[in-house]
Amino acid sequence: MNKNKMRVCLEILYNCPFVLLVIVTSFLFVLFFDETGILKIDKSIAVFQPINKEDISLFNAETVKKSQNSNEAAEKEKEKDADQAADTDENAGLRKEEKDGIEETNIKKTDIASLEREKNREKEENRATKFVEYAPIETNSRYYSDAGKVALTTAYDYVLENESYFNDAAFLGDSRTLGISDYAGLDGADFFCDNGMTIFKLLEDKGVTYQKTGEKVDLKKVLQEKRYGKIYIMLGMNELGYGNTNMYLKQYLKVLNQLKEWQPEATIYIMANLHVSREKNNMETEFNNININDKNVASARLANGKDIFYLDCNPLFTDEEGYLQGDLTFDGVHLYAQHYEKWRNFLFEHGVEREAETQKEDEKSAAGQLQEDAGYGGDTAE
Amino acid sequence: MLFSSVGFLFRFLPIFMIVYLTFPKYRNIVLLAGSLIFYGVGEPYFVLLLLLSVLINYGLSRYMFWEPRSPQVNRKKKSARRRKRALILAIVIDLGVLFVFKYWDFAAGNINRLSGHGLLPLLSLALPLGISFYTFQMLSYQIDCYRGTVKEQAKLLPFATYVCMFPQLIAGPIVRYSDVSGRMAERKVRIRDIENGLKLFTAGLGLKVILANQIGTLWNLIMTAGAGRLHALVAWLGAFAYSFQIYFDFWGYSVMAMGLGKMLGFSIPRNFDIPYVSRSVSEFWRRWHMTLGSWFKEYVYIPLGGSRKGSARTILNLFVVWALTGLWHGADWNFVLWGSAFFLIISLEKKTFGKWLENSKVLGHIYIIVLIPVTWVIFGITDMGQLAGYLGNMAGYHKEEILVGMTQLIRYLKEYGILLIACVIFATPLPGKVYWKWKDRWFMVLFLLLVFWWSVREIISGSNNPFLYFRF
Repeated sequence: MNKNKMRVCLEILYNCPFVLLVIVTSFLFVLFFDETGILKIDKSIAVFQPINKEDISLFNAETVKKSQNSNEAAEKEKEKDADQAADTDENAGLRKEEKDGIEETNIKKTDIASLEREKNREKEENRATKFVEYAPIETNSRYYSDAGKVALTTAYDYVLENESYFNDAAFLGDSRTLGISDYAGLDGADFFCDNGMTIFKLLEDKGVTYQKTGEKVDLKKVLQEKRYGKIYIMLGMNELGYGNTNMYLKQYLKVLNQLKEWQPEATIYIMANLHVSREKNNMETEFNNININDKNVASARLANGKDIFYLDCNPLFTDEEGYLQGDLTFDGVHLYAQHYEKWRNFLFEHGVEREAETQKEDEKSAAGQLQEDAGYGGDTAE
Repeated sequence: MLFSSVGFLFRFLPIFMIVYLTFPKYRNIVLLAGSLIFYGVGEPYFVLLLLLSVLINYGLSRYMFWEPRSPQVNRKKKSARRRKRALILAIVIDLGVLFVFKYWDFAAGNINRLSGHGLLPLLSLALPLGISFYTFQMLSYQIDCYRGTVKEQAKLLPFATYVCMFPQLIAGPIVRYSDVSGRMAERKVRIRDIENGLKLFTAGLGLKVILANQIGTLWNLIMTAGAGRLHALVAWLGAFAYSFQIYFDFWGYSVMAMGLGKMLGFSIPRNFDIPYVSRSVSEFWRRWHMTLGSWFKEYVYIPLGGSRKGSARTILNLFVVWALTGLWHGADWNFVLWGSAFFLIISLEKKTFGKWLENSKVLGHIYIIVLIPVTWVIFGITDMGQLAGYLGNMAGYHKEEILVGMTQLIRYLKEYGILLIACVIFATPLPGKVYWKWKDRWFMVLFLLLVFWWSVREIISGSNNPFLYFRF
């Protein structure tokens, strides 16, 4: 009896090794990795390094704000504005000092920031990037949430430039930046980009292709050796389904800190990720404009209007609902080659002359007020 | 649900197979229910349309086979008339549904444009998944019943199972009832069948996920730059990439269907026979999407008289078949153009150089390798302006300056070179021969296991990170 059973078992084994192998490996796979989501364990957080103190202090404010409902947030915003208006005149000098201090927190690591400083930092940030708020929708994704606002191009007196402006520029990015490299005709600039590039991979050893030679280079070395006047960075598309927006923001900050350390004189442009078309926009996956906007808003928060600027080129290419116009793209994500000209002109229009900027710094709050006005009347859609 | 999805591979298929094997007596019910779930997950509303179509067709086939009890005069004549009526009704209803969902907007749009008024409203209906396939399958059943090829009417359950069975429901092959009727009442599933079926399925999965999806990104990359401003070589590279994508995609899907069919105890006919090694376009279509080709031959070409009614009539018949084949693939002018191109080529081959090409050793292959990618470009680009631009680029003609030139070509070749070589190899008979010769050997088993997990990895990274698939 037992022998018979054994024989049957052996026969099965002999007859279907492939089925058994697939089943066994599937079990192991589900048990140990569960990338398939069958057990519904969300391990996405654990994959990354633990969050350190500095990051927490920096982004506490963000999380607190998100957890409150929009009404409260709006009220808080108003209060803050009033606050700010009140103390601009009185403590202008003091504020300036503090600002510099905050700059350091932003750029270099320092002790744990106090709540007071946190608040001021946020003010500073709000001065640099303007947001248009809207009622956020409910999202149920581990990758993102609805930011509830749209970031506008950093308000600034940009100057119209020509091609020579880009002779000391570096572009860091993914396939869309590759498009700029291929079709925008900015031959003077150095492009470091790859299909599928992410902010997480950017500074890896031999992580990114230098388009002039086609070789993989170590961006860390390049940026320490060569001086750049401007660094354009546009990353975020390949991060849509990776980690979450907070992680993206943290990594972005880390990269910016590095860039500032290696290239203290460079003007850094954070470029908004271009939205996708209506056909490509899919609310059931993480691949949609809400998520892209979430990433854009996060990166826009890092602009300071002094040496870090946020450029939103979306109004050039999107319709009134924010979708990338269908006739500008084949796959709903990338522009056709001929439309990069428009993008180039947009970059031309957003030149920053740093001498002019330092002068303005001295003009204190009045200038600041002007900047704000310019921001709302600027070329971005509201 | 798609075969190449985590939901199918790790949830649907194992659960379904366990239930299917546990209740050998209720295989048809389990298969039908499973298939409806499979379809309903993706198309929660159109599953009702599918069911309704099945019921109507079943009713009509019953009517066709119905014999009144009381003896009547002219019984034979009446019976023949009834059968005809049932068949016509079935054809009108099936094609009518297909027309409304698939062709209405195209037809109405063109009529409106011609007349210059908004005579007909556009419906903007979504296309129910697989409707072209299951409609043709039901039509083949009705016609076979009418002709008497199907002698005995199928009962509701086997008929519904035959139409809805998930391996071929959404992307073919178009199975004829006689292919599976023998296995409908009772079917044994041996362990070897499951083993071989899963192997075949894995091979298909690999073709679809590893080859087709990957090479598809190259076509996408080139189209993304935009037709009309491509260097001729880039345009040709894109055409080849698309030809490979469409072949491995469809072939892979058909092989997966065959494998699944085997696992369920059916034998689903094969759909592709190494088409790219053909030496004439006629031969190509005998090897490409074979079940569709034989459907049109059997139910359209031959009833029209085939090639037996003189050469003028033959040409006309060919035209009808190819216009319909073109339209079957999609409701747009480029598909009409695509079908017409095949009509022209095949007519020419039939009348002049076809035989000569098929006997040639090298010339026929070159002819196919050059011609077929051009037809796929026509197939792949729906926008007429872009299509003209792309074909112009392939011929070396440029209206505007070239934007995608040698620099990009070199980069594409660097990035996709190995994959292109793999695609070329898999378009030859070699991999098939290797597979069938050594499929039971341990190294092949391990290789297939590797293919399986490699595919799963691709699928997962594709769903978690859409950009690995699309490569932004």
